[in-house]
Amino acid sequence: MGLGFVVGIIGGFLIAHAAFSTIQYRGELKIMEEQFTGPPFNVVIELLVGLGLCLWAGLAVPTKFLSILPHSDENRVVSLPANLDFMVFNHRGKVLPSNPDLKLKI
Amino acid sequence: MATQDKRSDTSDFPEIINTDNLQSNMKSIYYSRTFLSIIGGVIAGIWGFTGFTGFVFYFVVMLAASFGLAAKAKFSADSYFDSWNRVLLDGILGGLMSFVLFWTFAYDIVHIF
Repeated sequence: MGLGFVVGIIGGFLIAHAAFSTIQYRGELKIMEEQFTGPPFNVVIELLVGLGLCLWAGLAVPTKFLSILPHSDENRVVSLPANLDFMVFNHRGKVLPSNPDLKLKI
Repeated sequence: MATQDKRSDTSDFPEIINTDNLQSNMKSIYYSRTFLSIIGGVIAGIWGFTGFTGFVFYFVVMLAASFGLAAKAKFSADSYFDSWNRVLLDGILGGLMSFVLFWTFAYDIVHIF
């Protein structure tokens, strides 16, 4: 997650730098009294690279996807040996998947 | 682990899904799309897009984001979401408003002031 943040900040800096360059470019155009047709080529490249980096950061930084299937390895419910007095079996939990042979994953 | 019964007509739909994780995944998608809408808006403003071109640019960015999200889900939406629509279409209209806002901001700052 740290790397994603750094990449996103670099992308942000590139975009801000492109904004400054475009403002300067427009100032020059005003002096020469020409029309603005588009930012200069290097600014366009900077914007695209910034977009690419921010795209990558925007996908990598938010938490990774967690599996929603009850049978997947990450959603294990392990039952530990417990006092029989408190073990009730006639409840809704019987539709949940559970494997009494599962051991704790250390 | 909070689970909830979700019954459906299709036979390949799992009966029980972990809704905590589903909600967390949906939040993650929402954050990604919002951030990318804002970045797309700033870039559209700097580039000088006006009118229709800007909206086309927004949908291109959202397309790239959808592809990226599908790749993040390892192209198997079934293990992370309850339908493909969530991965591909959720949040596009909401992000459009953020996009237009930052597009206008950036355009004003760079080209007008």
